[in-house]
Amino acid sequence: MALKTAVSSVTVGVDGMTCGSCVQSIEQQVAGLPGVYGLQVSLELKQAMVTFDPSLQSPESLAEAIEDMGFESRLPEFPA
Amino acid sequence: MTTHEFFVDMTCEGCSGAVTRVLNKLDVKFDIDLPNKKVFIESDKDANQLLETLKKTGKTVTYIGSK
Repeated sequence: MALKTAVSSVTVGVDGMTCGSCVQSIEQQVAGLPGVYGLQVSLELKQAMVTFDPSLQSPESLAEAIEDMGFESRLPEFPA
Repeated sequence: MTTHEFFVDMTCEGCSGAVTRVLNKLDVKFDIDLPNKKVFIESDKDANQLLETLKKTGKTVTYIGSK
């Protein structure tokens, strides 16, 4: 794919969320990061889908932000 | 050693688990009282530094005082 856009998205696996308030705190925290356009956190699937600006964030930096919050994060083996 | 008392808005085990993991990285002795939403940290570190660490979890944190 030669087409480049300023928007990337990644699905980060998140372990350690057990209730709605865990989801909410992740949403608030990650949505406040620079370069994050939007995200969807799913408790059932234990994952966070993040849309971000690749010049400001990377899948690794997003996973690290989630780790910092005290949750375990996993990056997909083949990043989207 | 001083014991610092914090109010942390935790609602479930996932929340207290997150606090546990964040504090484990700091290498301090602590005790979490989930029903009362309290976290007791035994450390010589500055209370503000502990507060910042707890705030990383994205929850409402208030410093109550030291004993």
